[in-house]
Amino acid sequence: MARIELRNIQKYFGEVQVIKDLNLTIEDGEFVVMLGQSGCGKTTTLRAIAGLETVTSGEITIDGTAVQDRKASQRDIAFVFQSFSLYPHMTVEENIAFPLRAVRMAAAERKAAVQEVAEVLHIAPLLHRRPSALSGGDMQRVAIGRALVRRPKALLMDEPIGALDAKLREQMRAEIKRLHIARGSTSVYVTHDQIEAMSLADRIVVMHDGVLQQVGPPDEVYLHPANLFVAQFVGSPVMNVADVAIESAGSDAAMLRLGAAGTGFAVPPASVAHLDRAQGLRLGIRPEAVLLRHEPAEGYLESETTNIEPLGSHDIVDLSLGETTLRARAESGFVSGEGQKVWVTLDPERAHFFDAQSGHALRRAG
Amino acid sequence: MAQIELKGVTKRFGGQRALRDLDLTVEDGEFFVLLGRTGAGKTTTLRVIAGLETPDTGQVLIDGQDVAGWNVAERDTALVLQQYSLYPRLTVRGNLEFPLRPKIRALDEAEIARRVEAAAQTLQITHLLDRKVERLSGGEMQRVSIGRAIVREPRVFLMDEPLSALDAKLRESLRVQLKRLHNDLGATFLFVTHDQVEAMSMGDKIGVLRNGRLVQVGAPDEIYNRPANTFVARSVGSPPMNLIDGTLTGGAARIGGADLPVANAGAAEGRELMFGVRPENLLLEGGAPLEGRVFDIEDQGVIRILAIDMGETRLHATVPARTRIALDETVRMGWQPDKVLLFDRRTGERVAPG
Repeated sequence: MARIELRNIQKYFGEVQVIKDLNLTIEDGEFVVMLGQSGCGKTTTLRAIAGLETVTSGEITIDGTAVQDRKASQRDIAFVFQSFSLYPHMTVEENIAFPLRAVRMAAAERKAAVQEVAEVLHIAPLLHRRPSALSGGDMQRVAIGRALVRRPKALLMDEPIGALDAKLREQMRAEIKRLHIARGSTSVYVTHDQIEAMSLADRIVVMHDGVLQQVGPPDEVYLHPANLFVAQFVGSPVMNVADVAIESAGSDAAMLRLGAAGTGFAVPPASVAHLDRAQGLRLGIRPEAVLLRHEPAEGYLESETTNIEPLGSHDIVDLSLGETTLRARAESGFVSGEGQKVWVTLDPERAHFFDAQSGHALRRAG
Repeated sequence: MAQIELKGVTKRFGGQRALRDLDLTVEDGEFFVLLGRTGAGKTTTLRVIAGLETPDTGQVLIDGQDVAGWNVAERDTALVLQQYSLYPRLTVRGNLEFPLRPKIRALDEAEIARRVEAAAQTLQITHLLDRKVERLSGGEMQRVSIGRAIVREPRVFLMDEPLSALDAKLRESLRVQLKRLHNDLGATFLFVTHDQVEAMSMGDKIGVLRNGRLVQVGAPDEIYNRPANTFVARSVGSPPMNLIDGTLTGGAARIGGADLPVANAGAAEGRELMFGVRPENLLLEGGAPLEGRVFDIEDQGVIRILAIDMGETRLHATVPARTRIALDETVRMGWQPDKVLLFDRRTGERVAPG
């Protein structure tokens, strides 16, 4: 059990600053996922918490105690890597028991602890096997078991299922989450996979270029991205983004004009009242908020399909609207092919606006 | 432009049979995707067609001609790999010109320039032509290596997981670009992948490969909605299709003690069956016949994916993002009767709808 705090963390590798003034509090028992592309600083942050990496400046506290100058072994934190790093000459049982032997726990107690962890991870029948006789998923379960067996204050995981195939990843995601719920240990998990982050996290920490972009529960990050980077990093297919100008259309309507072309969507003025029309703006709209019809209707613009991705459960349809291409999520078979006419509108309730310069989200008050 | 045909091709590596009596036809101008796991024989198939491997038995035909005696150059296929192998010290232009330089091609400078310009335009890399390759991003490099294939104007494009090393966002946009490229060129594409989303979204046709054999060939919606067996059923769709043990009694599915309606039951009465139903066709509603406990909830923004334990069977259901549900909650489930498939439990083959 532990509360982890990072304050004003800076980290340089030579000239390169990989963590830029990072502040983050991870609550006791929380599951936090650090999400970002390779090179964004997420792994360095995780390693700094574990003590595998020093920080250039700033403070790391665990349960209120500053630990940035302590060795990894004195922080009581366990680490799981993507590569399983099991001892090949030892059985599963010996592998899991290894950290307990190191602290000279009595044999009977050790056996009980290993048994308990093995049952939680459903690997009790494998205890007498060697790692070479295990599947990838089971190897990673053993590695997690070895990390958990000494009941560390916190469990840190660096892309632990990144090397497994898609189906096994899906299964392991659910298991890791249940394990967290059962054990209640503070967990920090690093990944570049936004689906993993969305499905595992109590809170997601999005990083980019060493800078923390947004911290929040998955639905908040998805529904209210703080900036363009987050908006386009979370969600699949990627959120549509286009330059937009806002104009008045009569006394009780506003018009969103996309790109250079003269196409515009009428929206309720209240949905854009908070925006400065003189400023450069970008519109963000998720594919599920791009709405399609087969026939003309008020508020819908004519467009042409340019690409269809039939995914079985639904289709992703690309539309050209003047110079702009929009991706829409449609029911399977909604359009039969490319080059078809469809009518499109945007759900103003689910439209996002960003400052074209800074990329910051411009939200409605309240 | 060419039609490719493999007839009864077998290829062994030591004791391992990579391809077993493989029959495959890719029509002229088709975008054909071979979908399979590691070791299914996908790459071997491409290499056999390109002439980089010789089959132990069977024939490879290009436009109806047996090409057994043809070398790699004579077959004139272009292979694009996951690992782009560009010359780092050359510019993009230099890399694109390279395959056209050999004397044997006897192309004049004007023709070389024309082809390079055309390829660059198609791939939208004209502005990069004079840049050194080592200063490109991953997606740009992959476009250049595709460009190197295009300039040759080959009969056939063979692509071996060309998008797998790229990040998710780039993969998404290159999927669309590759499809457009295929449309523009009208060439025959044979594209190999382990990623079912790529297969579904790009292929005119998908061939599902398992242990060196083709299990099913069909358009994406056929593969998704009418899989020939449980293997194919699990190969496409995420999360995979639910497969539930049961029998057919009086035209209804009997699962545990519950009865559920089935629209197309065929003549499956009395057999040991598996009922296949996609996560989006499993419906949560009070009073429905099946009961389970919520094991996991995955929030994916637009939808939520539930893992539900029904006895020993773990089921998946897709529900709208706003559905209120809690872990360990007991839920009742039914299904859309016209979306249910019946498989023979022993052989895994689909028995209904026929």
